[in-house]
Order: sequence, then C-alpha cells, then structure tokens
Amino acid sequence: MSVPILTVTLNEPREAYQPGDTLSGTYQVHAPPGGESQALEISVLWTTEGKGDEDMAVHSFERATVDETGQIAFLGPRQFSTVLPNSPLTYDGVIVKIRWCVRLRVFLARGKQLVEECPFRLGTIPAARAVLP
Amino acid sequence: MSDAAGHREFGVKVAAPRSADNDRSASNPFSTCRVRPGALAYLFPAGLDAAMLVERLRSDGWRGQIIGPHGSGKSTLLAMLLPLLSDAGRDPLLITLHDGERSLAAHRATLAKAGRRTIVIVDGYEQLAPWNKCRLRRQCHRQEHGLIVTAHKSVGLPLLADTAIDATIAARVFQLLVPDETLVTRDDLLNAYAAHPGDLRETFFDLYDLYEMRRPRKE
Repeated sequence: MSVPILTVTLNEPREAYQPGDTLSGTYQVHAPPGGESQALEISVLWTTEGKGDEDMAVHSFERATVDETGQIAFLGPRQFSTVLPNSPLTYDGVIVKIRWCVRLRVFLARGKQLVEECPFRLGTIPAARAVLP
Repeated sequence: MSDAAGHREFGVKVAAPRSADNDRSASNPFSTCRVRPGALAYLFPAGLDAAMLVERLRSDGWRGQIIGPHGSGKSTLLAMLLPLLSDAGRDPLLITLHDGERSLAAHRATLAKAGRRTIVIVDGYEQLAPWNKCRLRRQCHRQEHGLIVTAHKSVGLPLLADTAIDATIAARVFQLLVPDETLVTRDDLLNAYAAHPGDLRETFFDLYDLYEMRRPRKE
C-alpha cells in the first residue's frame, strides 16, 4: 500500500534563529487517492535527548482532520508561522541536548503514524565538551 | 523504522535517529530516544518470534510472565508485543511500576473500567507488595482479564519469555545501533558489557558516555 509523502520546508533556512524571530514554512501531505490519512498535526516543539528521561514541550500546534464528507481537508500545501520564544535555546550538551524542530505528524488507519521533522537551531549556544577525568 | 519515503513509522521495530539538530550525526546512538522500549527491536533467539509468543499467550489463557535480569529487555519485549495483542483482538492495559511503587492505587479506576478483553500488563510486578499481587491476580481472574507481568524471577505464571542475554546478543543489538562503528567499536561494547554482564541498559549508558567523549563538536 502506498503511504503519504510528507514534506516540511522552512521559508528562510538559517544556521540559527534567534528568540523573537518568526519561523515560517510550508508543509504538505502528498496522499494517494483513497489513502488512509485520518488527520495531521503540525507542531513547533523542543525535545531533550540524552541518557535519562526525556522531556518535550510544544510551542505551537495545529491539527486538521477529515471533514464531514470524509474528504481530507489538508491536501495541498499549507503555511505555518510562529514567533519563537526566549527559551529553551538549542543546546548540544554531554548529558542532555535540547533540540528544536517542526514536526509534521499524519495519523493513518489502525493507529499508525508517519512523522517528518524539520530541525532548526534556536540561539547560538556553543556545544559542550566532555572532559576526561 | 523508516519507510521508503524516509518517514518514521511508529509502532514498529527500530526507530530512526531522532535528531532535531542540523547535524544529524550529532545524535548519540545510545541516547534514551534510541534505546528505550519501543524504539529498539527486541532480538528473539532463533526459532522464536513475537507472533509465536502471542500464540503461547493465547493457549495459556492470556496469562504469562516475562522473566529476566535488570536491563535485559523485558520492557522492550513488552513494547513489541503490545500492538500484536491489539491485533489479536485484546485490549492491552499497560501499567509501569517504578521503584517503591508497592500498590496499584493509582490505577484502580482504570482497572475497574476494563472490559473482558483486557490484558493487564504490569511492568515491574515485583514492586508490588504481596497483598497487592494477590489482589491483582484475584481481580484479573474474577473479571476474566488476561495478565502479563515482568519480573526478575518467576512469580508463578506461565513462562512467556526469559530475556537473559549474553555478549553475542549484546553485540547484535549494538550492531543495530552502530552499524558503522566509527566512534564506538565492538571492543568498546565488550569492555562495557564485561562491567555490566547481562545488563544491556547499563552497558549502553557507559557507551553513551564514551561516545560523547569521542564525538567531535562544532565550535
């Protein structure tokens, strides 16, 4: 069975965005006719990554579903835009890292999901270094 | 696991690196997001697979125990079984108990509403006080629920799987995570495993640190 192809692109790709900047872009679900897409979510969020428990928070969120007639209301390119917050800034630490991304999630039948992420940096904190004892 | 279009599909064996950095290689292959249950495949011994375990459960009245030492993959195996139990027409209800969680008080309301097709799955069953273990088993019997538990040693349910591992299995999992062995090698794995025999979780924690020490960073 063919599955939807997801795309997320930023309007102004940069090395790093700064707090207060507007992050905008386009997302699209290229779904085959009669596909099984039920809904989609577009989020701008941060997550932590490391060797312990993970944390995450959603900065902006939008959800679209099939309409009353069963037609998928989100076919075709759509825009997203958000003003980035002051924190947390992207951080490439040793114990923990903070990642920002735009995440497009499509919900398929039977609970399956497809995810496409478009990463970006917020702020310019230099990477940490591990130091040998 | 990624599909042909490169998207990650949830509910399957191996998650792709989830790096939200511009440099995808910066993602540590031993990060929690790469090795947690549900992200990493459970590697079955030869001649066994998840579907066979579901059949074993069915023939045992949806009751069973997964036995194995700390960090050997019990929760990983559970995560792999959950969707298959749903596919088999059961309603898995996963309860994960943490250190010192001696009762199911926080889950009583959910348990009370569970239907007859429910399989109660308790990850960390031995955390429960003896009285609460008896109470749970009586409740599952009375309400015709299935019951699957994980524990370090037998608790008297039909054996579903023993997850004890050895260095060979550790090496197979390692290869899934680090196919190219650029920063961390198989020798590193064997050294770390020797410090934590049978415990893949602690082994990978050590390798996480080693990877961070060797990883080049952008200034």
